[in-house]
Amino acid sequence: MAVLDKLKLDGKIAVVTGAGRGLGRAMALALADAGCDIVAAARTRPQIEETAELVRAKGHRSLVVPTDITDPASVQAMVDATIAEFGRIDILLNNAGGATAGMGKPLEEVTDEEWRLGIDTNLSGTFYCCRAAIPHMLRQGGGKIINVTSGFGLRGGRDNFMYTTAKAGLINFTRSLAMTYADRNIQANLIAPGLFPHDNPAMVEWWRGGKFVPMGRLGRDEELGPLCVLLASDLSSYMNGDILALEGGGLSGGHAPTGFAPLLPLKREV
Amino acid sequence: MVQQQFSLSGKTALVIGAAGPLGRALAVALAEAGADVAVSTTTRSQQEEVAANSCANEIWALKRKGFAATIDAASESDVDNLVQRVITEMGRLDVLVNAHDLPFAKPLTEITPEEWRRVVDVNLTGVYLSCRAAAQPMLSQGDGRMINIVSLLAERGMVNGAAYCAAQAGVMNLTRALALEWAKTGLTVNAIGAGWTEGMALLADEESRRKLERYLPGKRLAKPEEIAGIAAYLASDAAAYLTGQVVWIEGGALSHV
Repeated sequence: MAVLDKLKLDGKIAVVTGAGRGLGRAMALALADAGCDIVAAARTRPQIEETAELVRAKGHRSLVVPTDITDPASVQAMVDATIAEFGRIDILLNNAGGATAGMGKPLEEVTDEEWRLGIDTNLSGTFYCCRAAIPHMLRQGGGKIINVTSGFGLRGGRDNFMYTTAKAGLINFTRSLAMTYADRNIQANLIAPGLFPHDNPAMVEWWRGGKFVPMGRLGRDEELGPLCVLLASDLSSYMNGDILALEGGGLSGGHAPTGFAPLLPLKREV
Repeated sequence: MVQQQFSLSGKTALVIGAAGPLGRALAVALAEAGADVAVSTTTRSQQEEVAANSCANEIWALKRKGFAATIDAASESDVDNLVQRVITEMGRLDVLVNAHDLPFAKPLTEITPEEWRRVVDVNLTGVYLSCRAAAQPMLSQGDGRMINIVSLLAERGMVNGAAYCAAQAGVMNLTRALALEWAKTGLTVNAIGAGWTEGMALLADEESRRKLERYLPGKRLAKPEEIAGIAAYLASDAAAYLTGQVVWIEGGALSHV
């Protein structure tokens, strides 16, 4: 069982931002399942307390640290609290982010505030977290960074400027992390989740149940867990600067049943 | 537990191209994760036959079922017969790993049309043939995993690599097209983009290997096991929503300008 043994994360300390709900919570619980103690960081205390309770119910320790990742001082305080409690950071999962600021507007209507808030949340927040955590990883002799991008980091979107820009920025930020720290045993990779409605019926309806996704369905939160554990574990020891997209096939051709050119004649003699 | 979602217990896999160090590691990783694994050569050479047999021995040592076959992966009848033998002897086929690899480097003006065809036949057409053969049982099961191993040279060019680079890039986009074609069937198709790995034929020269290691961000080559572990994930139920992707395992080599 050598391959599966590499997935064990017993005793590892994982910091998860945006851990209070949705994919952040699902991934935090998967990391706990694999053996991690979890630092649950997010703005809203009751939500991360709930996540921490779920982690403790699995028999692992959890530290609740209300954190605003757009504020470098708040991020530094979160990392300091982590070190004070656990002494190390093995895994940093930069999950916090948000697509909505300025979304759905043509560029000329996007405000300064929307742009700044979005870039701060999606891009600068990850920079602050990495900057604060990496010295500890170097001191320990290594670590794992998992950043969360999106299909919009690889492709454009109509009336979608801040999010596509920030998520694309994260991809190249992560590649530079890989280039810089690969020889000191830090691996930095990206997850690109597709459409995950988190059991929210409004989201399911908004995304029409995933009818336009090649696989014909939306993602399930629990499907992100194994992927996150994979990137946090020794199984991915030679992945660095790379993207794992879990999205039902949309990126391979476009969100249409036959790829980006849905109306071409489908069968033709050569 | 989350690890259990990676288990391949009860599944049957076929690894084509198991004679090299990477193919061998892929077959062993799937067996370690619980699968029964049949393996084959890519060409009908005695050297490959010996290596594939020894790989099958390792699978048996893990108490998994399997067999080794010697085939020409570019031969339609060889490939069809191999898949049929898997179904007959092992009952089903859940995971197909295409680790075809015929390395080839020559300046374009010196490549003969015969050489070009052979490189494209083994590296690209061979993958088409095995996907076609395996699709029938997988589509009737409504479940299956195809994993195509490509090289960094699918994404980047190399001097004297024209034939090999073209064939590898072909496999990469074949993967995306098949993923879409079968997206609603329960069959997923992904590629693993393998970085520079210990034991590769192209790295036989000590001096060029050392130069390459200095250039790589992590200053080291991949161990075959580091590539193979990801294949175990892609083969598992945990990766059911992952299709049409090239999963690069290259130690940051593609992050490099």
